Amino acid sequence: MNPTNYLVLSVILFSIGAAGVLVRRNALVAFMSVELMLNAANLAFVTFARMHGNLDGQIVAFFVMVVAAAEVVVGLAIIVTIFRTRRSASVDDASLLKL
Amino acid sequence: MNAPTIEYAELAPLITIFGAAVIGVLIEAFVPRKVRHPVQVAVALLALVAALVQVILLAGTGMVAAVGAVAVDGPALFLQGTILVLAIISVAFFAERRLEAGGDAFAPAASTLPGSEEERILVRERMLQTEVYPLALFAVGGMLLFPAANDLLMLFIALEVMSLPLYLLCGMARRRRLLSQEAALKYFLLGAFSSAIFLFGMAFVYGYAGTLRFGEISEALTANIGQDGILLAGVGLMAVGLLFKVGAVPFHSWTPDVYQGAPTPVTGFMAACTKLAAFGAMVRLFYVAFGGMRTDWQPMLWAVAIATMLVGAVVALTQTDIKRMLAYSSIAHAGFVLTAMVAADQTATAAILFYLATYGIATLGAFAVVTLVRDSGGEATHLAKWAGLGRRSPVLAATFALFLLAFAGIPLTSGFVGKLSVFTAAIDGGAAPLVVVGVIASAIAAFFYVRVIVLMFFSDPAPEGPTVAVPSLWTAVGITLGAAATLLLGIVPGPLLDLAQQASLFVR
Amino acid sequence: MNAYAPILGLILLAAVFAVGSVAFSVVAGPKRFNRARLDSYECGIEPTPQPVGGGRFPVKYYLTAMTFIIFDIEIIFLYPWAVRFDHLGVFGFVAMVTFIFLITVPFIYEWRRGGLDWD
Repeated sequence: MNPTNYLVLSVILFSIGAAGVLVRRNALVAFMSVELMLNAANLAFVTFARMHGNLDGQIVAFFVMVVAAAEVVVGLAIIVTIFRTRRSASVDDASLLKL
Repeated sequence: MNAPTIEYAELAPLITIFGAAVIGVLIEAFVPRKVRHPVQVAVALLALVAALVQVILLAGTGMVAAVGAVAVDGPALFLQGTILVLAIISVAFFAERRLEAGGDAFAPAASTLPGSEEERILVRERMLQTEVYPLALFAVGGMLLFPAANDLLMLFIALEVMSLPLYLLCGMARRRRLLSQEAALKYFLLGAFSSAIFLFGMAFVYGYAGTLRFGEISEALTANIGQDGILLAGVGLMAVGLLFKVGAVPFHSWTPDVYQGAPTPVTGFMAACTKLAAFGAMVRLFYVAFGGMRTDWQPMLWAVAIATMLVGAVVALTQTDIKRMLAYSSIAHAGFVLTAMVAADQTATAAILFYLATYGIATLGAFAVVTLVRDSGGEATHLAKWAGLGRRSPVLAATFALFLLAFAGIPLTSGFVGKLSVFTAAIDGGAAPLVVVGVIASAIAAFFYVRVIVLMFFSDPAPEGPTVAVPSLWTAVGITLGAAATLLLGIVPGPLLDLAQQASLFVR
Repeated sequence: MNAYAPILGLILLAAVFAVGSVAFSVVAGPKRFNRARLDSYECGIEPTPQPVGGGRFPVKYYLTAMTFIIFDIEIIFLYPWAVRFDHLGVFGFVAMVTFIFLITVPFIYEWRRGGLDWD
């Protein structure tokens, strides 16, 4: 088992997520991409925990999952509210502030 | 297996605030709607004052608590005290009910559609938004923890606990709700994006050092020389997350939009307190954990500081909305703080602490003044509407002018002493070219601050100009205190400078 | 090289299954088209942008999802504690009770504010 492979995978996942945030127009999909980035970081943490032989990285992964869940709830609340006000979840439609 | 020791006495301010926030949630559940508002305000204010007293009692402590996860030392306590003072004034601004016909600055219920029948009923019955107080307390708790966090995990948790309630608070404006919700959406998406980047950087730093504690990371820096690639990537990515929170160029694009869209009391709270907390965390991380590799991160901060000062000052010139102008001004101020950060020594820490305190007070005051200038559509934030305000309401305009002069760094205001101390620290730290850029940026910035003052005092009032609302006692006291502190710290800065000097030593 | 043979076989099998099932459905399936079938698929909601004023938006679905996620994920902290319960002693127990109490607070809030009234 070569841990470098897991790191490469986590970098790839992170890049897919980052590209998703920047490219996708749907707020929900952009948001899912952020979650992918968080999970890529989790994979890196767990890999490093294995490499160093301590548990700190795994603990961080637990906390990140919970933070991600809290973020989902706050994010969905904001997106659903703006969707109801505007009837669209496209980030391009949210443009009152582009001056 | 031994149970970890938790130093409850040293963590008391944090426990008080988080406890009060939880009580706030229970109040939402059980206290009848009619009396909820006064109860929530009372609980929030009591908790903040109690936490402030606890912080003052802890003054002089220098230790790490909770098995090294939280530092209780000078910089942390200084910033916590300042944040609590600012938060107390902010809660007073939140609770201001004299300005809007129907209540305060917040929508009665965040979930109702603007203009819907449900909302009209709530407005008619003069229902008030009460959830903002527990949310603000959670945010304050995160802000207290952020500059005190002494390991990576605590740093991340504090970042999120601070940010998540702020995202929600941004979307709750009573008027111009769609603008407010868009601000919340933008802040949320970009904030989540930046914290994901921050987290990935954290993973790399952990991968390099094999530990989460700042002190042990610092030891690892000297121990494993030769595998720096992963460390540099980690530090860079973490810097992105923190620079986003302080609103430094090129991660500043959210600032004007969010500051403009959020309810103005929230904008003031965010602009003052978030910046303090984020700079506190950033300084601790870079000095304590990454202090051993300062030659690697200093060039990066040089570039960011120069870009931040110039972009903030130049773009502010073109703004026509007062809230956006203040937003760009806050970006420029982030740049000034970064100039001192580059120096990376104890003098710099003291200068940053002093600067942040004076900046926070003036910013909160300036945004509070913005809430008072109103016309039929709510706050009159367009710059043109402020023409001739000095003739109609000289006291208010003079107060605002005082805050602007402090932002510009004119002598006899706190801003001058603050700027002087950060620039001195930067010169001592060998960053003289940065100071030259800083002085140029200050000159550009002074131009637009003075332009607003000229507009207020020397141009004719518009025929249908805004009126100045008479605030409640709380808001009046808050603004007066801010103005008095801004002036006083400009004339006799000694005591606070000494305090910042004494508080500038990080525990390791 | 031999070690990679099963992987190659798996890839081949997957390709045959994917192409085969799509081809089979084209040949064998009935051909009736409606609007929903021709829409692009985006995680269960209607693809954006939507016509203004058109269609209702299922908020309930998100409320349920939010409730589920926030309370479900907290269990993650109970798991490591449960595994080492006997070693963690009184401190661990008190910490967990505190934690569960803190999770109960938002639950009470949700119940009192009508978040659990599903009709």
